[in-house]
Amino acid sequence: MSDPAMHIAGIGISFGGLRAVDNVDFQAERNAITTVIGPNGAGKTTLFNLISGALRPDRGRVELAGVDVTGFAPAALQRAGLARSFQITNLFFDLTVWENLRIASQVLEPVSRALLPVAASRRALARVDALIERFGLEDVETDLAGALSHGEQRRLEIAMALASEPSVLLLDEPTQGMSHSDTEDTAALIRGLTSDVSILLIEHDIGLVMSLSDHVVVMNQGRKLAEGTPETIRANPEVQAAYFGSA
Amino acid sequence: MRDRLMLSMRASHAFMTIFAVGAVLCALWGSATGDSFYLRLGTEALILAGLAMSVELLLGYGGLLSLGQALYFGAGAYVSALVLRETPSFWLAMGAAFGFTLALGIIGGLIANRVRGVYFALITFGMAQVAAKTVYNTRELGGSDGLIGVPQIAVPLGPYSVSAADPVAFFLFVLGFMTLLYLLLAYLLGTPFGRVLTAMKANEKRVPFLGYSIWRARMVAYVVAALVAGVSGALYPMLRGFVSPELMFFETSGDALIMAVIGGLGTLVGAFYGAALITALKSVIGSWTEHHLIVIGALFVAAILFMPKGLIGRIRPRAEAILGGKRAIRAEAQEEHP
Ligand SMILES: Nc1ncnc2c1ncn2[C@@H]1O[C@H](COP(=O)(O)OP(=O)(O)O)[C@@H](O)[C@H]1O
Ligand SMILES: [Mg+2]
Repeated sequence: MSDPAMHIAGIGISFGGLRAVDNVDFQAERNAITTVIGPNGAGKTTLFNLISGALRPDRGRVELAGVDVTGFAPAALQRAGLARSFQITNLFFDLTVWENLRIASQVLEPVSRALLPVAASRRALARVDALIERFGLEDVETDLAGALSHGEQRRLEIAMALASEPSVLLLDEPTQGMSHSDTEDTAALIRGLTSDVSILLIEHDIGLVMSLSDHVVVMNQGRKLAEGTPETIRANPEVQAAYFGSA
Repeated sequence: MRDRLMLSMRASHAFMTIFAVGAVLCALWGSATGDSFYLRLGTEALILAGLAMSVELLLGYGGLLSLGQALYFGAGAYVSALVLRETPSFWLAMGAAFGFTLALGIIGGLIANRVRGVYFALITFGMAQVAAKTVYNTRELGGSDGLIGVPQIAVPLGPYSVSAADPVAFFLFVLGFMTLLYLLLAYLLGTPFGRVLTAMKANEKRVPFLGYSIWRARMVAYVVAALVAGVSGALYPMLRGFVSPELMFFETSGDALIMAVIGGLGTLVGAFYGAALITALKSVIGSWTEHHLIVIGALFVAAILFMPKGLIGRIRPRAEAILGGKRAIRAEAQEEHP
């Protein structure tokens, strides 16, 4: 049997005395949605930072499809097939939507094209067209990313992460601040992605978590509190006390 | 057109064409009147435009503020002068200046790219000051007097030969040289590599998550900028017949920065307009008063306050609208009122 899309083993980091992520283990299966939940400050974003190379773990290991990638720089991880979106919208605000997606797709091209005009990057340009259509950005493609509505920016944020055709996609609260209908659309969109990509998701909306996830990992104060199917998580009294109770 | 950066570059090309036509008309006028002073001044402005273009590449496109581009300009000039005094060969001098500034750019890049932002600016400033003082105190390089007695050469161009002693011919030659340099840089900026620079300026923190090493992009940009400054500097002794340590001083780096800003950062062609404007102002105001630096400084402050995008940055959107239509106008409006 093939390795899981991602294997996290005993990963941890401390900021001064604070154990922001402490000895967390789990696996993300291929073509599935694995969701990390937990109260604010539980260490979810820090966990993403450790996996995506934004932070170096003090302890533990990250494997992508059986390959140890612990401590890789973000650029190397991206090329190994791991992409992420950001909780706080992180776009090229002074560039157009089209150029944001183009620069994010550019890594699909072989290095030998690096010094040819961008118009020669057929594969990247086709990818941009596909993403613009899939994320409904046709009307704003030549607008500056900074001029988009919040919902459009959040959609562009996801599209940017998808641009490089990653095998593993980390989405940090993709629907944050979206309207109800935008959230529904985005959830459907994320569900539709799993044929190509394995997803690790951070999400606050508990209804969405239950309907979207194949597997749920619960974090609290840096530690993994529980993991399992949405049903077993909902039924877990410890989780109810720590999370549902307080939410 | 969906590729707005490409559209902007096309608009820049239109301004480059206007500039080149204007320059050729000046050469015709110079040839008709037998002028040599203004043509030589114009040639110097074109050489300085090369230095300003290297600032454009770093700051206007990559967002990297170097306060020491004169280091590479001066290095190119000195190497060229040293070679020409031994062997008056254009290509040998150019090749030597290229090789030397390549090596120097790699060393300087390895040092300066260890740090970012203000520290990068300070290190580039410091390295240029160290180099300038070293040259100033080296007797073999002529010390504070610099090197004089560089012979006037002939530049072999296939079947033709351009004499550096002929003000019209040499002006046109340097115009062609700088236009070529401009086209090379414009091409580079329109490639995936060039776009990584643009992205780096827009949001440096996001770039590694696109699969690109910021360090590598900064390093390549720095070395290319050093080369552009170096080969431009190599033309200087061919024009003036001497080099002096002032070429490496901060005033030279600062002038190049002012030229790039006044012309319009992120327009590339602004380097030419800025260089022409500042050189002309210095010459005109310099003939009225000794305190021309005060006037230039005041004009610079006024330009930043009232025309922060520079001359070309201010008028280019109109050219974009003509070339690209409504979409360009909309994005431009968003830029004005974010
Ligand atoms: N770079 C950092 N330096 C210091 N403390 C940090 C840093 N990043 C996160 N933290 C702390 O780690 C804890 C977990 O934060 P975070 O991962 O953002 O939580 P979550 O995403 O689950 O809301 C918080 O207490 C936060 O203040
Ligand atoms: Mg978070």
